[in-house]
Amino acid sequence: MAKAAIDKSVDTFPKFLLVNAATRGSRPAIREKDLGIWQTWNWAQVKDEVKALALGLKELGIEPGDKVAIVGSNKPRLYWSMAATQSIGGIPVPVYQDAVADEMSYVLSHAGAKIAIVENQEQVDKVLSISDQLPSITHVIYDEPRGLRDYDHTRLKWLNEVQEIGRKAMPAKYPGDAWEKIIAAGKGSDIAVILYTSGTTGKPKGVMLTYDSVVVSSQNANAFDNLTEKEEVIAYLPMAWVGDHIFSYAQSYVAGYTVNCPESPETIIEDRREIGTSYAFAPPRVYENLLTLTMVRMEDAGRVKRAMFHYFLKHARTWGEKILNKEPVPFGARLKYWLGELLVYGPMKNRYGFTNIRVAYTAGEAIGPEIFRYYRSLGINLKQLYGQTEAAVYITAQPDGEIYADTVGKPSPDVEIKIEPNGEVLFRSPGVFAGYYKDPEKTAETKTPDGWVKSGDAGFFDPKTGHLKIIDRAKDVGKLNDGTLFAPKYIENKLKFYPNIKEAVALGDKRDYVTVMLNIDLVSVGSWAERNNVIYGSYQELAAHPRVYQMLSKHVDEVNKTLSEEGPMAGAQIKRFLILHKELDADDGELTRTQKVRRGFITERYGPLASGLYDGAKEVGITTELTFEDGRKGNISARVKIEDMKRHAPAVPMDKAA
Amino acid sequence: MRAPDDTEIKAGQTLLSVEGVSLSFGGVKAIRNVSFDIKKGEIRAIIGPNGAGKTSMLNQITFKGVKRKKMRPHDAATGGIARTFQNVALFKSMTTLDNIMAGRTLRMNKNLFWQLLRFGPAEREEIEHRRKVEEIIDFLEIQHIRRVPVGRLPYGLQKRVELGRALAMEPELLLLDEPMAGMNLEEKEDMCRYVIDVNNHYGTTIALIEHDMGVVMDLANRVVVLDYGQKIADGTPDEVKANKAVIDAYLGVAH
Repeated sequence: MAKAAIDKSVDTFPKFLLVNAATRGSRPAIREKDLGIWQTWNWAQVKDEVKALALGLKELGIEPGDKVAIVGSNKPRLYWSMAATQSIGGIPVPVYQDAVADEMSYVLSHAGAKIAIVENQEQVDKVLSISDQLPSITHVIYDEPRGLRDYDHTRLKWLNEVQEIGRKAMPAKYPGDAWEKIIAAGKGSDIAVILYTSGTTGKPKGVMLTYDSVVVSSQNANAFDNLTEKEEVIAYLPMAWVGDHIFSYAQSYVAGYTVNCPESPETIIEDRREIGTSYAFAPPRVYENLLTLTMVRMEDAGRVKRAMFHYFLKHARTWGEKILNKEPVPFGARLKYWLGELLVYGPMKNRYGFTNIRVAYTAGEAIGPEIFRYYRSLGINLKQLYGQTEAAVYITAQPDGEIYADTVGKPSPDVEIKIEPNGEVLFRSPGVFAGYYKDPEKTAETKTPDGWVKSGDAGFFDPKTGHLKIIDRAKDVGKLNDGTLFAPKYIENKLKFYPNIKEAVALGDKRDYVTVMLNIDLVSVGSWAERNNVIYGSYQELAAHPRVYQMLSKHVDEVNKTLSEEGPMAGAQIKRFLILHKELDADDGELTRTQKVRRGFITERYGPLASGLYDGAKEVGITTELTFEDGRKGNISARVKIEDMKRHAPAVPMDKAA
Repeated sequence: MRAPDDTEIKAGQTLLSVEGVSLSFGGVKAIRNVSFDIKKGEIRAIIGPNGAGKTSMLNQITFKGVKRKKMRPHDAATGGIARTFQNVALFKSMTTLDNIMAGRTLRMNKNLFWQLLRFGPAEREEIEHRRKVEEIIDFLEIQHIRRVPVGRLPYGLQKRVELGRALAMEPELLLLDEPMAGMNLEEKEDMCRYVIDVNNHYGTTIALIEHDMGVVMDLANRVVVLDYGQKIADGTPDEVKANKAVIDAYLGVAH
């Protein structure tokens, strides 16, 4: 793929589909585990399915430029819907399937979607409940018919029926290669997809990407890691996220590799293990959860197994990364590593479904150095990349052999980067977006006329390695009242690297000192509680337990210690902290749909706690409203303790001036 | 198949009728001369305060016009009745899959010899049964516990597996003995949805014993109320709710 001349006339995904069907028709394109068995469709079959669906959609009135919303978890037929829409000139708009009705209503009406293709009854109900706000929607199409039989089917259709409509229309209206001709009329400069950003700030924005930018990004990425048609990936991240779109759709169509859809969200780990993915892409929390689960399970394992696990893990920490990076390693260490592979690393990787892994990426947030090294020491080539929806993902990535836990790598192929005086990272590449849908103002704010895009992130190039380091969102970097630099995310990430801490929210901009609100990780702290006979009835009770406070206070102190050794950061040590009485939740608007904390909103929502952190109170009472999964609301009250921390003297005082 | 609506049920075919049934345990009269019927395709609830004789009632039924002195489990099963139990009665050390597969035993036609050989027709039969079982697993959304021994599962899931095993028999009449007992609100809501789906999707007639009034009023087409072994009311949920005898039985009355 990397060496082969890239055929410029193949510039849209439907065209790639035709090429794949012709050149590798019998190779598996997509699989889904259904009724306990992996069902496979090869590229030729996918072409037929997409064709029937596309013509069905055309019969239902989709014209070039019309938007088709796609809502649901990763299912073959939803991916086909994307290709089918594109093949007849429509624009797919994938929507986060866990969005509540209000959020979905905004996206669907802003995009002006004409048809919504949804996964199941749950999504149909959601769309129908807001249908009076969506005059543009003419049809709702569903994939999974269960429970929908008694619904009014005037505007509702089963996806199979739509394909049937398409097949029926084929002989008379679209004979021979009529569909292929429609595809050939598509141009690389057309809009391929509109992806709505998760909206850390304000309403979601519709990022328009052209075929050209998505195709170039995918080709570059495939070439960068030598990806071929033989890769196996598992698609489980939201289809509305740019990462999944590029990784499970675009790159697969360009390279011709196989995408696997899990049976249900609960079976992903098992499914991944059965498939043995060779290429993986996941936000850090997926790797974190896997590691937490491993550690918790190892605590319950027999003594011999546990001892063996820790013994070989220690060996891997010393030598594993060196072996992976192909550095010289003494023969004895290699032999022991080989034995470890046989006894520990191999079985572990099998558990994770990483036995055949060639490249694994993490992106979206900073990953804990410990977690990062853990996977690498097992021989998994885990790398970091930095990307954005506006760049069709790839901005920087770590090349093989140049891996550092605290950088995001070098500029990806064809990407230029410059750093503004205020620290903001700007990029320019063929992959950048065409603009925000229906929002020329925001587009002009973000994208300069000569093609530079403001990433909104602050960062710098590490002079030692030449890699980019991201410290925080540019607008979030603030100052304490004494002028000390305050990068909240930097502090939060340090805290979140502890398995006991699930979320952290740091406050300090325009204040006298830094404080944090913490969320405990129920799996990890719960398991600790079980082992230490700490009795609790609820999350709230566990969070308020004095011994939990004691434990987290140790973690905060360690973070302060490392901050004190980091020159400019020494002044931003945490002076007070508290543990929140409820888990931060996207349904309450406290996290974005991609699970990032919305700091401003949280500060406002927990106002009494925030002021308590700064007025010296030892304990603060608060009542919070929360939203249940079915949309009902309830209240939760608590008295939250606040803990004072001691300050470490800056270890390198002369750096403070810098 | 399609679940009938209320008017159709009123006119519909009687699947099971109970006429003048009485039962005593020694001197205790558990059931006194109770009669009611269950129509094809409906969800029929049997309610009553503790010790009203609901479970005893379930154990005493005639089916498809055939009268039996005592309902022997094997006859009931071949006759198209499946049930779940008040206390979960699964094979604890077997997996979810095997437990549900066990529900298909009666539907297996090949004799022991063929089954031991696992070859030819027996293999084809096994595959066919496995497909049915997988459909039930999909239906009840328990794919993630397919290979987990049921003894390790939380209570709510065990109840779901038990329902799955009953469904595997493809019964005409499904008897659910307190399917929601001991569940939290979320598990109850899930279970309700499955009961409705079973009725809706497979067209199975369901007789349901339940304590939770909210659940009964939402699910059932018709309700029969027992108290001290006697029938005190029979009708739609709304009728039963308005019935004075029922209110007295539940809330108590000054004597």
